[in-house]
Amino acid sequence: MAVGVPAVEASGLVKRFGGLIAVDHVDLRVDVGEVYGILGPNGAGKTTFLRMLFGLIRPDAGTLRVFGRTWGDAGPSMLDGVAGFIESPRFYPYLSGRRNLNLLAGLDRGGADSRIDEVLDVVDLARRAGDKVGGYSFGMRQRLGVAASLLRDPRLLVLDEPANGLDPAGIRDMRALVKRLAAGGLTVLLSSHNMDEVEEICDNVTIMRTGRVVYHGSIDQLRAQAPDPSHRLMTSDDEQALRLAAGHRAVAVSVHPDGGLALRAQAADADAYIIALGRSNLAVRALHLEIAPLESLFFMLTETDPEAGFGEPAQTQPDTLTGVTS
Amino acid sequence: MTTPATTATAPVPPATACPRPVGRGRVVTAYRWEITKLAAQARTRATLAVCLVAPFVFVVLLDRQDRLPKDTLYGRWVHASGFATPLLVLGFAAQWVFPLLTSLVAGDIFASEDQHGTWKTILTRSHSRTQIFWAKALAAATFAVLLLAVLALSCLAAGVLLVGHQPLESLSGTLLPSGRTAGLVLAAWASTLPPLLGFTALGIMLSVLTRSSPAGIVGPIILGLLMQLYAFLNGADTIRHLLLVTPFDAWHGLLAAHPYYGPLRDGTLVSVGYILICLAIAYTALRRRDITGG
Ligand SMILES: Nc1ncnc2c1ncn2[C@@H]1O[C@H](COP(=O)(O)OP(=O)(O)OP(=O)(O)O)[C@@H](O)[C@H]1O
Ligand SMILES: [Mg+2]
Repeated sequence: MAVGVPAVEASGLVKRFGGLIAVDHVDLRVDVGEVYGILGPNGAGKTTFLRMLFGLIRPDAGTLRVFGRTWGDAGPSMLDGVAGFIESPRFYPYLSGRRNLNLLAGLDRGGADSRIDEVLDVVDLARRAGDKVGGYSFGMRQRLGVAASLLRDPRLLVLDEPANGLDPAGIRDMRALVKRLAAGGLTVLLSSHNMDEVEEICDNVTIMRTGRVVYHGSIDQLRAQAPDPSHRLMTSDDEQALRLAAGHRAVAVSVHPDGGLALRAQAADADAYIIALGRSNLAVRALHLEIAPLESLFFMLTETDPEAGFGEPAQTQPDTLTGVTS
Repeated sequence: MTTPATTATAPVPPATACPRPVGRGRVVTAYRWEITKLAAQARTRATLAVCLVAPFVFVVLLDRQDRLPKDTLYGRWVHASGFATPLLVLGFAAQWVFPLLTSLVAGDIFASEDQHGTWKTILTRSHSRTQIFWAKALAAATFAVLLLAVLALSCLAAGVLLVGHQPLESLSGTLLPSGRTAGLVLAAWASTLPPLLGFTALGIMLSVLTRSSPAGIVGPIILGLLMQLYAFLNGADTIRHLLLVTPFDAWHGLLAAHPYYGPLRDGTLVSVGYILICLAIAYTALRRRDITGG
């Protein structure tokens, strides 16, 4: 993996809002060139972490370096080469999309103005750029947010739930865009509450829950720790199918609360069991994937009590991960 | 997704290829950005347009009236000399028009970023809060100066063009030297700049503290009216000297047969005091706050 200065390095970061600890001693390291996900349910502290990264709120403790610079020693220059948005991007509604970008380019300087057409093309907004932002749909504003970020020609792109509120096509396009940008060498740090999204786009992930990190690691590592996928199975004779399962130690079959059977197994073991059902003249009428393995791991990590300890993942340190992603 | 080897092993490039403005340079870029934004707002343009046109309408309406506003300074003179018009308006504007006009921008300039949720948009673009603060404060002051200039010149033009440039009495009853009247009238208007900027700072402070445009705009007007009321009810003299509305009357000294400048000096000091205190409070509040909205 990249040697040298990481794009983002947080250690012991804490943010309190009154009595509530929104971010609780978070350590995190994003290396140059990687696509990093911060995953967590609502209220996990993802946005709060990213706000601290942008200097919008001050941490109560800990340090945060972006390309080696801290807010304390670099001031707003800490954000040179960094762009992105927090929650849904906001613009002046009484100005057109293009005029908004013009204004922001004025703040950026450094020839950002000349890139406006280019970035509008990238996010496919060129045709509507002359319309007032007040009349934009949610998805259009989201894309304008990406355009406004690209205007800065960043090396690190920070996106807070970029697909939030988008329709399925919008989500697909947003993911494709992020992947395209990452393939071009951009470092991306994105937050999400969607495991699929993180699995599809990211190399490494930090999973948060109520301000704490409950998992650090690569997506591959995460997959290896994921429990077996869970299916719902309907057969021509569920009772007999259940009895037959006793002979297949690698599969866990039980009665599904909503009817049929619940089948939990790795793909190869599930295949063997289903073939055995056929050999015993039991017809398989339906087989649905109910919870993907990573998703069920996500629920286990974010819904169990951290004090109870989920075991290994929470103890994984960022240092041990830098080797994994190389 | 695999990491492109080239980026992973490449040395960290310099922060940016283009030189970035630093310190004061960034205040200038932010100031230009704010002025562009203000110029694009219908409200700003409409306010300046009203300042330009209203004096002419006022003179025309006054011309059709038989009864003169005799209770107001120079009210008796409006038909006799065009120079009386700007002084009549000046006396009247100090009551609530000046606080209103300046706070239309000053009271909104910070709060509108809260209203639109755009703090996070601008503060993530390599400008510090300090730079943005001074840029906005300067922009609000620019607007105040501009509207004072437009209103003064427009009143003078309306008076002179529609009524004439007949000689005007001083406040002591002697005739003012006619060649110098226009200059004195403009000097009288200029003397209201310090308290006007004081109200601008008050608007800025309320805009930052309340994060609400209506509060930022209405607040200075109400405070101005309360101060007028206090002065009207013959409150203690020391306190009256500390009110931000008192310096609005300092121009009376300029139009005496033997001009006196004491109130002008005291008024300027009081105004500067307001400006410093309000801006210090606003600046500290903006620097300290967490930007969590938007
Ligand atoms: N300004 C604030 N005042 C008080 N509490 C806050 C504030 N901002 C965030 N919080 C609290 O901090 C915690 C973390 O919030 P945060 O917005 O960072 O979560 P998140 O992971 O981004 O959630 P979501 O997926 O809903 O966006 C929450 O409990 C939230 O209520
Ligand atoms: Mg969030």
